[in-house]
Amino acid sequence: MNGRELSLLVACLVAIVVFSVASPHYATSGNAVTVLRNSVELLLIGLGMTLLLAMGGIDVSIGIVMGLAAIAIGRILGADGSPFLALVAGPAVGALLGCVTAAVVVLGRVPAIVGTLGLLGVYRTAVFALLGGQWLSGLPSNLTDLLAATVLGIPVPALVIAIAYLVVWLAVRRTPYGLHLLAIGNSEEKARLSGIPVIKVRFMTFVVSGVLTGIAATFYVATYRNVEMSVGSTSALDAIAAVILGGTSILGGRCSLLGTVLGVLLLRILQNGLLLIGVPSLWQPVVTGVLIIGVLGFEAVSNRLPLTRFQRARA
Amino acid sequence: MTAPFLVARNIAKRFGALTALANVDLEIRSGEVLALLGDNGAGKSTFIKILAGAHPPSDGELLIEGNAVAFSSPKDAAASGIATIFQELALSENLSIAENVFLGRELKRSIFGVPFLKRAEMRQRVDGLLQELDAHISDPEAPVGSLSGGQRQAVAICRALNLNARLVIMDEPTAALAVAETRKVLALTRRLAGRGCAVVLISHNISEVFEVADRIVVFRRGRKVAERLAAETNHEEVVSLITGAHPDVRALEKTN
Ligand SMILES: Nc1ncnc2c1ncn2[C@@H]1O[C@H](COP(=O)(O)OP(=O)(O)OP(=O)(O)O)[C@@H](O)[C@H]1O
Ligand SMILES: [Mg+2]
Repeated sequence: MNGRELSLLVACLVAIVVFSVASPHYATSGNAVTVLRNSVELLLIGLGMTLLLAMGGIDVSIGIVMGLAAIAIGRILGADGSPFLALVAGPAVGALLGCVTAAVVVLGRVPAIVGTLGLLGVYRTAVFALLGGQWLSGLPSNLTDLLAATVLGIPVPALVIAIAYLVVWLAVRRTPYGLHLLAIGNSEEKARLSGIPVIKVRFMTFVVSGVLTGIAATFYVATYRNVEMSVGSTSALDAIAAVILGGTSILGGRCSLLGTVLGVLLLRILQNGLLLIGVPSLWQPVVTGVLIIGVLGFEAVSNRLPLTRFQRARA
Repeated sequence: MTAPFLVARNIAKRFGALTALANVDLEIRSGEVLALLGDNGAGKSTFIKILAGAHPPSDGELLIEGNAVAFSSPKDAAASGIATIFQELALSENLSIAENVFLGRELKRSIFGVPFLKRAEMRQRVDGLLQELDAHISDPEAPVGSLSGGQRQAVAICRALNLNARLVIMDEPTAALAVAETRKVLALTRRLAGRGCAVVLISHNISEVFEVADRIVVFRRGRKVAERLAAETNHEEVVSLITGAHPDVRALEKTN
């Protein structure tokens, strides 16, 4: 555990203590479950976003990708489709939209921030068109029952997240993929000169992020049993905030998966706690925004950015 | 005289309207150190990037041991036994020495079809290479970005050696080095040639070139203007070839 991860852990604990003192409703086991429950989708999306930022990419459309996947799942459930089909739909739609993003950003060479911003606009309209101004609501509970089950006493969401974390961690720290990802994040041109299949690695990473987001959509639908118009509208901002809080460089070349997990938890603890002490939920994006600016500002003035200084000198 | 390892025929490279290289014919022989000289912007780096698979040529062809090759990436060139130390080194500053030396061709073992890195083995091989180079690096796990210019050069050279290449190309390998390190690199070029490797050395230091080169090729404004055996030319002649004051170069440039 590095210094950043340790300070995040401390920040989580401090926040918990402060909110416990401030609100009598805070320190209950029910609320702890709520916070963890609210973290599920963001943890999955955050893992993918960590990979994207590590390779110098980003995806600001990721929340709406979750929304589109959720609509697909909802439609299948609503049509009384098999739970198997509903389980496959999320990752499948996620993978498909990941391919679309990769086609634009990687093959089309549109800078990731611009390309995904463009897709965000397109996908938003698609959500509107698909829902036609109406929520998908009152969906059947077969998916909910499946995902509320426990295996050996461990809730399914926790199990899925643990597996996703382990797979991504192994890929990043124990296989050539991780080295290629970080090399691309440091400099695409140097990675290319080193013989790395840059296009393949970048393409694959957008697809992986899409699949993780599709799994997140499955949990979203299972939990809420409805899909509303604003589905996923804050997810990208939240994910980017959590990932950079966790110590992954916004400029690429450095990442921390544990940091992302702690970043997500801190964000959700703050959002939940502020709500409980009476801050209107309208203020939540403000908190996230201030956290992003705060972290990047802090990094810019402290000497935590030696890598980016090399990057600038060598660019 | 041995048959050439690599033959470049009529190579040209254009970047939009800019012609960086035109009509370059060159033979590179095993066991020989070939020095590439020329002013800034003469096209030396562009030429070796074509040999390294980093740029496709706009025109012309490359033959390796008589067979035409077309590199679509640096990986292809590496697979044909060409290792290149680029002028800008192309190291990943955020990765460690061993990770850089093996980047793009990592040692791995397959477990359930998943390729896992063999970190210990890569580290061992790199320690051996660094020792062979007599390079002193206190923390081999440190990111390459925290190393000095000379140490980075050593890492880039390790990378080339590790490939067991048949042709090693070095673009200004001594530009960032102190006297002692420069000696080591020059000795290394001779050792590589002694092993039967072909070596291409780019340098602006003419005395350095005379110390190690068997042949000298001079580029000027994207063209090859002269080729001499090192034993049959001298410092002054090479300078005049580079600057264009030499009668041969003048004659050539008049006809073009
Ligand atoms: N990627 C590129 N795009 C456009 N022009 C380029 C590119 N690479 C090189 N050039 C141009 O090609 C010409 C030759 O450059 P090159 O780097 O090969 O010179 P050089 O002989 O290596 O010089 P130096 O001794 O300064 O390293 C220059 O005019 C340069 O600006
Ligand atoms: Mg050059």
